[in-house]
Amino acid sequence: MITFIVRRLIWMVVTLWVVFTISFFLMRFAPGGPYMSEKVLPPEIEAQRKREYHLDKPLPVQYWLRIKQLASGDLGRSTKTDVRVSRLIGEGLPVSLAMGLLALTIAFVVGMPAGILSAVFRGSGVDLSMMSVATVGIALPNFVVAGFAIILFVFTIPLLPAGGWGTLEQLVLPAMCLGLPYAAYVARIARTGMLDVLSQDHIRTAQAKGLAPATVVLRHALPTALLPVVSFLGPAVAGILTGSPVVEQIFAIPGLGWHFVQSASNRDYPVAMGMVLLYTALLYTMNLLVDLSYGVLDPRVEWK
Amino acid sequence: MSSRLIAPFALLGAALLAVGWSIREGQLPPADFTFNNGTEVKSFDPAVLIDNASGRIAWALYEGLVRLSPEDRTAMPGMADSWEISDDGRTYTFNLRPGAVWSNGDPVVAQDFVYSMRRFLDPQTQCEYAYQAWYLKNARKYSRAMRGLEPGDPVEVELHTPPKGASPFARGELVYGKLLRVEEDPSATPNELADDDKYTEFRTFVIKPEAAKPETEKPGAEGEEPGDGGEQSAGGELRFRVNADEGATFADARVCKQVLLDFREVGIRAVDERTVETVLQDPTPYWLELLGFYPLSPVNQRCIEEHGPKEWVKPENLVTNGAYRVEFHRLRDRIRLKKNPLYWDAQNVAIETIDAMAVESQETAFKLYETGQIDWCEKTPALIAKELLKADPPRRDLNPAPYLATYFYAFNTDRKPFDDPRVRRALALAIDRQEIISVAGAGEEPALSLSPPGLPGYTAPRCPPADPARARELLAEAGFPGGVGFPKIEILYNNNEGHATVAEMVRKQWRRNLQINVAAGNQEFTTVLKNQREQNYDVTRRGWIGDYMDPNTFLDMFVTGGENNQTGWSNAEYDRLIRGAAKEPDTKKRLDMLRRAEEVLMDELPIMPIYYYVSRNLVRPTVHGFYNNTQDSHPLWALRIEDDASLPNDYFPAAAESPQAEPAAADEAEAAAAQAGAAP
Repeated sequence: MITFIVRRLIWMVVTLWVVFTISFFLMRFAPGGPYMSEKVLPPEIEAQRKREYHLDKPLPVQYWLRIKQLASGDLGRSTKTDVRVSRLIGEGLPVSLAMGLLALTIAFVVGMPAGILSAVFRGSGVDLSMMSVATVGIALPNFVVAGFAIILFVFTIPLLPAGGWGTLEQLVLPAMCLGLPYAAYVARIARTGMLDVLSQDHIRTAQAKGLAPATVVLRHALPTALLPVVSFLGPAVAGILTGSPVVEQIFAIPGLGWHFVQSASNRDYPVAMGMVLLYTALLYTMNLLVDLSYGVLDPRVEWK
Repeated sequence: MSSRLIAPFALLGAALLAVGWSIREGQLPPADFTFNNGTEVKSFDPAVLIDNASGRIAWALYEGLVRLSPEDRTAMPGMADSWEISDDGRTYTFNLRPGAVWSNGDPVVAQDFVYSMRRFLDPQTQCEYAYQAWYLKNARKYSRAMRGLEPGDPVEVELHTPPKGASPFARGELVYGKLLRVEEDPSATPNELADDDKYTEFRTFVIKPEAAKPETEKPGAEGEEPGDGGEQSAGGELRFRVNADEGATFADARVCKQVLLDFREVGIRAVDERTVETVLQDPTPYWLELLGFYPLSPVNQRCIEEHGPKEWVKPENLVTNGAYRVEFHRLRDRIRLKKNPLYWDAQNVAIETIDAMAVESQETAFKLYETGQIDWCEKTPALIAKELLKADPPRRDLNPAPYLATYFYAFNTDRKPFDDPRVRRALALAIDRQEIISVAGAGEEPALSLSPPGLPGYTAPRCPPADPARARELLAEAGFPGGVGFPKIEILYNNNEGHATVAEMVRKQWRRNLQINVAAGNQEFTTVLKNQREQNYDVTRRGWIGDYMDPNTFLDMFVTGGENNQTGWSNAEYDRLIRGAAKEPDTKKRLDMLRRAEEVLMDELPIMPIYYYVSRNLVRPTVHGFYNNTQDSHPLWALRIEDDASLPNDYFPAAAESPQAEPAAADEAEAAAAQAGAAP
């Protein structure tokens, strides 16, 4: 298991390097640069600014300087504001993570039971209604859900605040809007997984032994049925992270997502790069954790 | 339950705990007044700011020689409690207020202003607004550093390392002298020498150092002692190469950070500890108001030199001299301001703590306002404002008012067919501004000039209003009868719902009235800026917000080769008038010259004005000291809160039924009259 983790971590460094290289050149090929401003800068200032960010040097030199800087653990400083990228991440990441974790929790807590129920009561009204709701949930993007949720829970029934950050109430709506479409996915995946398991021999044996239906489902079927859901965790985290800019903007949440969008359109190279690398690292780690959890959930899996 | 199931539940529990912890960290006691500042501020260093949101905060943290009145933005005593202006209008002498102190307790002295101005003009500080201080004698030359120098100029050479004993981040040691010549490298190609970006790369600056150490008359502080360094050659000359890299070596020259005009030549000096004198190049009637502009606020030298150019703006290091201090700054969330007890006028600052939210989405800000989370929403989206204005009974918290900004389309006059003024006139005659506003706006005024109404002493000449028949005639004259043969053109604008609506309307009207083929193309903001700058467009959307209360802030943009011209348009008469106006001491004559320049502009129409912006502030009726003004800026120190919401406040004076229409309407009647008189 240790060698497995070490090997994966080495690959992570390689992945980060590849992502860095691609993003570096993509960013430089986008028109404009950090010295672009609505008012044209005087040449003295533009020259100064280019020098400050090494933009006056040839691309390979810039690339080398950046990679050296990153290797020393320094993500640099935003070109648009005067904060360090590390501070930006330090302040934004806990917020984004809190929202993302709550959204994931909602996705699984709502999605799993719904999926299991509709598998167990396959073909019934329960199944039909839950899967219809799930289909709608997948089809609706989170900003549409957000619009409806705000009208309903903020203005029609004034239960929750319209946005901002600092209390649990302020987090409920955004996490819900972010999580519910994923709950729909989880429900469908859980249902398929459960149906698969329920038709297997060991379940029939358990039923034949006269075990209570709940025991059969929860104890014998569930762990195996969880596997596809767990493997969905990787893409779900990716989706929730990249889907957060919209929700963050609608609910005025000071998370990371908006920096990502803003830095790209501002040509704020250090911030954009910091975000890309952070997201890469997060996703890679999540996938690693998912792979590790297979070994816990499924005795047939070995880490190699 | 299966042991294998424990892991997921443990994970779930951990996730919830983490959420709980993160939220606990975020909890705050509410502030006395909360408003939406619209976006993250760029910095707490006033000199480098250019945007409204950062400016609002800078105006609360700092105070210049004068401050601007919340009502009409004219200069009133600030750090200086009085001033005298010489008869020729060029020399201003400011007497500093005795009680003025920095937030660290040090008195604010005249040297602080000299230091701040020098730093502001220094290209190393990268102040985009530096040109606002170019009215000072020789300031422009100082700002242009190496590029502005000519042989014979007194110069200061800044070396890389600060003098011994100075603070770690003080300016490099200075060598004063006279610039003898600028030597171009013999090995450099003419192309390299012509490249402005690499100006310093191929040049050596030769100076004759000053004999005596002149520090006694020098206005700057410790960091500016002339050095004894430099390889002195036989003739008493010193040779310098400019290079950002301190370690760079050159065969026959010493490396330096930059070569500037001697700052003692620039028109600002500390007469004594309490007196600042500014000397202008030309008499500038709006100089006082400019001094109240946030980028010209004084900054604390000790603080900057102790913590360095990037770190001094951290709230824990920051030393300011205004009505408020930064208590903390949570990125993309809020800035909490706390009243500065040391501020000289603290007894008249009413609100103890203020939260400036950084909510980007105007819709979200509106929702926060409606649900009581914020008390002032600085911009209301047009579509929402339109509904709010219809409310019955009328709302007492929204009062759109014109401000100093114009929305216009620019033509690329280097491209056919826009090189033909008849085509531009035809296009401008073929749009119905009222129709555009009725769809895309809420309360805006149609614009027939570049300079918006409300500039003191100035009524802008106008371009003719919509006249589709005449437009068709002109287009036919230009060789496109009935739009036949007119190439397909594209309107370029940046991604934004409002701009898209306007572009769509203009497109429809041009097609309807001129039968020409028009496309609307949107691009992301920075790409649009780049394409505008490189004149890579047919027609593009632009907007301009006046920096000061004078038509010059709009008109000097379109001089030949002006950095913000970006249309390729050039007119000798126009250039002559704008240049002449800058030198004209008589206000009336000057404004008349500017008016004639704008007449040329409105006849040639390299740009097509569409509407004058209006401000749309949503302000709780309990807030007092908030005035509509033409710059849409509302100093926080002037605000106070009354519990009784039924009292009339300054934003919505009870007397006027629809105050938003009146000043503009009056101006327009006047302008129409002027227009009638001048009509051909």
